[in-house]
Amino acid sequence: MDELTLLRLLAGALDRTDPPPAGLDDRVMFALEVDAVDTEMAWLEREVLTGSGARASEHSRTITFDSASLTVMISVVERADGRVRLDGWLAPPGPLRVELRVAARPDSAVHAGADGRFVFDNVPRGLAQLVVQPPSGPTVVTPALAL
Amino acid sequence: MNTHVEEAQADRYTRLAGCLERARGGDREALREVVVELNPTLWHVARAAGLPPDEAEDVVQATWLALLRHLDGIRSPQSLTGWLVSTTRHGAWRARQRLHGRPAGDPDALVELEDPAPGPVDQVLTDQRDRVLLRHFAELPERCRRLLRIVATVHRPDYTEVGEALLMPRGSIGPTRGRCLNKLRDLLLADAAWDPTWTN
Repeated sequence: MDELTLLRLLAGALDRTDPPPAGLDDRVMFALEVDAVDTEMAWLEREVLTGSGARASEHSRTITFDSASLTVMISVVERADGRVRLDGWLAPPGPLRVELRVAARPDSAVHAGADGRFVFDNVPRGLAQLVVQPPSGPTVVTPALAL
Repeated sequence: MNTHVEEAQADRYTRLAGCLERARGGDREALREVVVELNPTLWHVARAAGLPPDEAEDVVQATWLALLRHLDGIRSPQSLTGWLVSTTRHGAWRARQRLHGRPAGDPDALVELEDPAPGPVDQVLTDQRDRVLLRHFAELPERCRRLLRIVATVHRPDYTEVGEALLMPRGSIGPTRGRCLNKLRDLLLADAAWDPTWTN
């Protein structure tokens, strides 16, 4: 059993059991279309699923993203028509511009309230990314995620 | 290294250099070609650093976003790959700090395969071979697993890139690779579940 054979078998086994996720290339390309160069990634800190079980109409997930300058929390609730409603909070709170990028759709933007809350109430399912512009410093972007 | 491999590497280098130049000019398709070509490398660098799949994917995304800021300063495919691998490794290291307190997510602990579903004979044999191979792979020291994962899965690895990913001097990669493969071979040959004809 020479080295190259062993490496070839190992490569095959790892490719079959731990390949890059399907869609990784698409998610990277989507994330790269963000209209900002000086960006800071807000990392997924926690994801909590709620509402599973009896009341299937109220499936929701709460996702928290952290960056050095900003925490972005969103709650994603499935609507009766299959689209989703997205309720968000910024911390520290402030009336910042929040942009929602959705694959193959025009971007939409809202301003958070002074309390840091913002809402996108009619969002198609699919790949999405939040882009928040703090008063100073780099633009905060979340990873592209599937809503 | 034979001539075919060298020619293929030279072709790849030329193609990547062209894509990089066009991507710098704003050509999305050229950028996509670079992403498709190098994503598997970055995925395995992040996984080899011990990240669970979701975090590994986010680190890879963050690496490409950071590249947009640095594209102007990167002139050759070699420095591009080196920069991406190095940024992914740094990102993976910071992600591990963030994950502190959560399960470490050893990637090789996650490759436990389920029992093979009934299928074509070839498929069952491949599953069996993978399972025995990865079980022993998981027994190797972490340093070995990281090195072999990258050497085995990265498309014709350049030892400079591998060294960058593992913080190992270039000169020690060959000998370490040899020692790690010997260890893996000894483990396999000592296991009655390993069928030596599988390597034919």
